[in-house]
Amino acid sequence: MAVSNPTTNDWRAKSASQTRLAFGQALLELAARDPDVVALSSDTQDLLGIREYIEHYPDRFIEVGIAEQNTIGIAAGLATVGLKPYVCGYAPFVTARALEQVRNDVAYAHQNVVIGAAASGISLGVSGGTHHAIEDIATMRSFAGMTVIVPADVDEAYKATVYSLQIDGPVYIRLGGRVPEAPVTDPDAPFSFGKATELRSGKDVTVIAIGALVDMAVKAADTLKGEGIGVRVLNMSTVKPLDTDAILKAASETRGIVTAEEHHLTGGLGGAVAEFLSQTQPTRMKLVGMPDEFAVVGPTPPLRAKYGMSPEAIAAACRELAGA
Amino acid sequence: MAETREELIKRLDLQARRIRHNIWRALKASGSGHAGGSLSAADMLAVLYFHTMNVRPKEPDWPDRDRFILSKGHANAGLGATLAVAGFVEDSYVETFYGLESLFGMHPDIKVPGIEMSTGGLGHGLSVGVGMALGARIKGQSFRTYVMIGDGELHEGSNWEAAMSAAQYRLSNLTAIIDSNKISQSAHVAEVMGVEPLAAKWEAFGWAVHEFNGHDIGEIVDAFGRLPLDSRRPNALIAHTVKGKGASFAEDTYLWHQNTVNDEIFAKAVAELGEL
Repeated sequence: MAVSNPTTNDWRAKSASQTRLAFGQALLELAARDPDVVALSSDTQDLLGIREYIEHYPDRFIEVGIAEQNTIGIAAGLATVGLKPYVCGYAPFVTARALEQVRNDVAYAHQNVVIGAAASGISLGVSGGTHHAIEDIATMRSFAGMTVIVPADVDEAYKATVYSLQIDGPVYIRLGGRVPEAPVTDPDAPFSFGKATELRSGKDVTVIAIGALVDMAVKAADTLKGEGIGVRVLNMSTVKPLDTDAILKAASETRGIVTAEEHHLTGGLGGAVAEFLSQTQPTRMKLVGMPDEFAVVGPTPPLRAKYGMSPEAIAAACRELAGA
Repeated sequence: MAETREELIKRLDLQARRIRHNIWRALKASGSGHAGGSLSAADMLAVLYFHTMNVRPKEPDWPDRDRFILSKGHANAGLGATLAVAGFVEDSYVETFYGLESLFGMHPDIKVPGIEMSTGGLGHGLSVGVGMALGARIKGQSFRTYVMIGDGELHEGSNWEAAMSAAQYRLSNLTAIIDSNKISQSAHVAEVMGVEPLAAKWEAFGWAVHEFNGHDIGEIVDAFGRLPLDSRRPNALIAHTVKGKGASFAEDTYLWHQNTVNDEIFAKAVAELGEL
């Protein structure tokens, strides 16, 4: 299925550099293409920018209220009759509160439910620990048959959401919060499902990054270039299924791998890469992400830096692996 | 010639006893299982599958079929027993209960013909049923969705999220059947955590409610025959039942929520079922 040329629409302006809003824009295109697409909200209409969708497709919209367990169960029921439900979720609640519904009704029963999860990581910094989702990749990728996608910017979020219509089985799309995501992917390239995209080439160290950390990885690579360290940057937007070919290649061709993610260091992207490499080609690694603690309250950009999610921290990890 | 009511009740009573027989066959094959909650549901399963529901055992994926979800998934011995009597699965399926790689486990598996959703974790079925009922509306289909819930299962708060949403969307094509056998795993529901007044709770949540004896075939036929109870509300059918019904030694005790079954118990149980 070809993704229509997004440049012909005004979705990009409406997404305002936020992946969560690009998801809502993509639902408009999906609904126009497929009469079976249905959107569900847990009082999250604005969080995922679906007011325009609701205006156009009121009969294919279900507001479930502040009840994530029920939202996921209903989505599973809709999927059993051949509909294609897209859940507009709050990352911390749709994954943790509704965890058993996602596991049993969606993953175990293998239903084609797509979960768009906004406000992941510590993107809602000032909201505090109750509203952070730093364990969601770990839980979602541990369910058999679940696809996990983490777009890096609005272009990728839009295209990945449109692409998800053709995926067999449940899909988790991890989206950001209200902090704009810098454009970092090629707007003219199609979404490369299951394949990492190389954003910088380099022979010394590889950074495998996802989400908001992709832009930071690119900045770190550009800094290190000036120091004579060549850094390969891979955007691993499909965390499951993982692009093991790209990882093996990086392990063979560079001296070490840094993973970078806005997620707890247990069970996320770093864990996934380490699980694979430890059994195939043990490789020196550094993991950048949330340490084993709950984040304090604060605006997201300095909060990310406080916990080592910054271009500087990624660069420092690269220097260590490069032996500089 | 049309079946008289007397003939109908006689026919359904026989199917209910055949279902009970299959339940005991399954539990004997595995050596144990959830007799209590399967037996309390058996009469309603007989009426649903052999009278009320629009289903085609030889065409289990027929799009317009009525849907049944066993939210109290631990009573899957009862559902599997029914599917075998109805011909969704071979009779030999009954003997595969708990077997290695069997599709007939303790809880329903959506891969089995006739099973609409995998269940087991309690408090999931009604939300899925709301999804099916909404799905019928969106797709313009007229099938009905039935969800059987245990009374102890109503401890799970997710049921009440689902109840609220079914009323909000006026899902008269959705029916919750409460198998109120008054006993959960470790004691009487009232002691573990009281759920009464049940009818008032469902009414307060915006449902149309009807109570009946879940072992009186005529009352069950009439209860399902009245659906929808109201054209603008979802239906709550509260069935007063006896856990372990049909086997005197297993009735009304938490000890038969789940128990072992040997040849002697099997023979005793089957002897009470009469001629099949």
